[in-house]
Amino acid sequence: MAAPDLLDPKSAAHFSKPRLSFSTKPVGLNFQEDEYDTRTTVMRWKTVSAIFFMVVLYLIIGALVFRALEQPHESSQKLAILAEKLDFLSVHVCVNSSELEDLVKQVVSAIRAGVNPSGNYSNQTSLWDLSSSFFFAGTVITTIGFGNISPHTEGGRIFCIIYALLGIPLFGFLLAGVGDQLGTIFGKGIAKVEKMIVKWKVSQTKIRVISTVIFILFGCLLFVTLPAVIFKHIEGWSTLESIYFVVITLTTIGFGDFVAGEKGGSEIEYLDYYKPVVWFYILVGLAYFAAVLSMIGDWFRVISKKTKEEVGEFRAHAAEWTANVSAEFKETRRRLSVDVYDKFQRAASIKRKLSSELGLNVTPRQDPMGRRTLSVNLGDEREAYPNLTLCLTPVPGTLARNGSIYLNGLSPDYADRREIEIAIEETPN
Amino acid sequence: MSSLSKSWILLVGLILFYVTYLMLGALVFSSIERPVEEQLKLDIETLRQEFLNQSCINDTSLDTFLVKVLEANKYGVSILRNSSLDSNWDLASSLFFANTLVTTVGYGHTTPLSDAGKAFSIFYALLGVPFTMLVLTACVQRLMYPLVYAPVGLVQRAGLTQRSATEVHFLVLTVVVVLSFFMVPAAVFNTLEDNWSFLDAVYFCFISLCTIGLGDYVPGEQAGQRLRPLYKISVMVYLFLGLLMMYLVLRAFHKLADLHGLTAMLQLPHCEEDEDEDKTPIVEAGPEDQQQADKAASKPLDPGSQLSYNSINR
Repeated sequence: MAAPDLLDPKSAAHFSKPRLSFSTKPVGLNFQEDEYDTRTTVMRWKTVSAIFFMVVLYLIIGALVFRALEQPHESSQKLAILAEKLDFLSVHVCVNSSELEDLVKQVVSAIRAGVNPSGNYSNQTSLWDLSSSFFFAGTVITTIGFGNISPHTEGGRIFCIIYALLGIPLFGFLLAGVGDQLGTIFGKGIAKVEKMIVKWKVSQTKIRVISTVIFILFGCLLFVTLPAVIFKHIEGWSTLESIYFVVITLTTIGFGDFVAGEKGGSEIEYLDYYKPVVWFYILVGLAYFAAVLSMIGDWFRVISKKTKEEVGEFRAHAAEWTANVSAEFKETRRRLSVDVYDKFQRAASIKRKLSSELGLNVTPRQDPMGRRTLSVNLGDEREAYPNLTLCLTPVPGTLARNGSIYLNGLSPDYADRREIEIAIEETPN
Repeated sequence: MSSLSKSWILLVGLILFYVTYLMLGALVFSSIERPVEEQLKLDIETLRQEFLNQSCINDTSLDTFLVKVLEANKYGVSILRNSSLDSNWDLASSLFFANTLVTTVGYGHTTPLSDAGKAFSIFYALLGVPFTMLVLTACVQRLMYPLVYAPVGLVQRAGLTQRSATEVHFLVLTVVVVLSFFMVPAAVFNTLEDNWSFLDAVYFCFISLCTIGLGDYVPGEQAGQRLRPLYKISVMVYLFLGLLMMYLVLRAFHKLADLHGLTAMLQLPHCEEDEDEDKTPIVEAGPEDQQQADKAASKPLDPGSQLSYNSINR
């Protein structure tokens, strides 16, 4: 019969207590301290590389899904724009294709620089007026980096690098401070709620789960839903686009396809305080999102920790149990050997008596190798113990090293028992 | 002065300083960039006028056409002849996109067009960003030993105090990282990309590795790029390794600040790495290790925030 793999974490779930292996070959359960440590170190590398492969897998899955979702859309866009171009060229015959392409190239690079060539020249606001520059500086420091505005001069770029080098750690500290205060405020609120819930005699873990859920829901309401509604109203985006903007901004990804307050061409009249309010909201929202993301990270770690805990716990169990069993068997062996010795003595004395009385010659069967071998046959009682054949063979050298005992064929039903009844029969032959 | 009010004062001071910093930056950017922008506006206006003069197009039809072109271009679909062959969403580019999403760089040179794509991006990012942070933290914690503790120990054995040993080591580490992750890749990009100067390449490396990701420079986007998939994937690998090294440098800096008492002065949590903490950050043996590992798993770019979010969780 195959042995249940003691190192398999799945079997840990099945068996409440670790079982002895009942394979046909003897299994030594020895636990040495350094072996355990090396196993932990090996696990760590394995863990990191496992997680790394999972990330790569995650990326590949994402790539496949994105490709499946976006490529058809992109192809249709391409066809549409090509059709537009051909249409345009056919309608306006005095323009040839290369001229048009030149124009488009220039226009595109102008757009990249933030200048919109369509519409009237005069009433365009600059992309680098004070409030927009402020916003840009903010996107650099928070590492969101929308990219709808970006510096184009060499001086601007060099300054951007130096500015970011100093500003990002500064913002990090600020975020830490804001998050701290946010946490304190929220923690106080949660403490009050928890006090109420405790009255209902709910378990500690449930309380924690409830507070986490409240945190997420409340935060989502305050930092995601409400702003999304506001953005939808002011910017004219759809609901999905507003939520998309909020998530992409607050995780500091910051694509820049949707940017609040930066609609080119004065279609939307923004109130004066709109942009600073947006910036402030981004600051606090970033703190909230950092908390949420670290919580999600915690969950990942808890999941992997639980698995490892089970294995670790299981190993600890196994070690403890083995130590106990070895001690027990040592004790039993000692008692048995004393017992056996006594019985041999008695048998020998009986034999002597018999031989002296009857003149018989009974030679006790002696193990030729001179070891103390104890062989137990249960005889009539065998039906009650179907596969109980206990053979305790002290092998010289093994015991001295680690106290393990080789066992053969012990039925799993009796693994829990610490005391094993052994009846000794001497079969005269 | 109680510590609570002290922390509030510190926070307010920090906010004020931050706002001042932003204003300063805004002023400088404005003064540098604005004249260039004005010039570009003039140029594009003249171009437009020239185009209109020499042809039979009127203003409005050109406008509508341009709007459509620019709309398409915003999503990376170009009208130009020789770029129609490359897709922005073939496997390598999608992988690159997913990578920019997950590392929060977010260039924006390609963005999801469809609604489904946008919705998927939201969920993908919400799961992927902490996941990546976790991986990066785990890797950095492992790398701290051979790259930080061991050399510092060596330098210490050479006779310096712990303080100066960490200083020396940090300096050397920064120089090595700057050389190998900024200068060398910038030179490579300079050669590989047609119209990137060396400064542009350095700018790109810096903006990417800080995960700002403005998106004005993205490698592998020019038309007719040879071996485009391989190029994009190697850029991905470079970004990941670069991020790792940045976090490592940040952590080393945190330890340095610890030793010099800066973190205590600013009431920030200490770098929780101990010499004898020989445990994986994922397996905890007790509640105090749990705390430490919780700190370790939060956003590494904000070293100070590591303690605070535990208070939210609890």
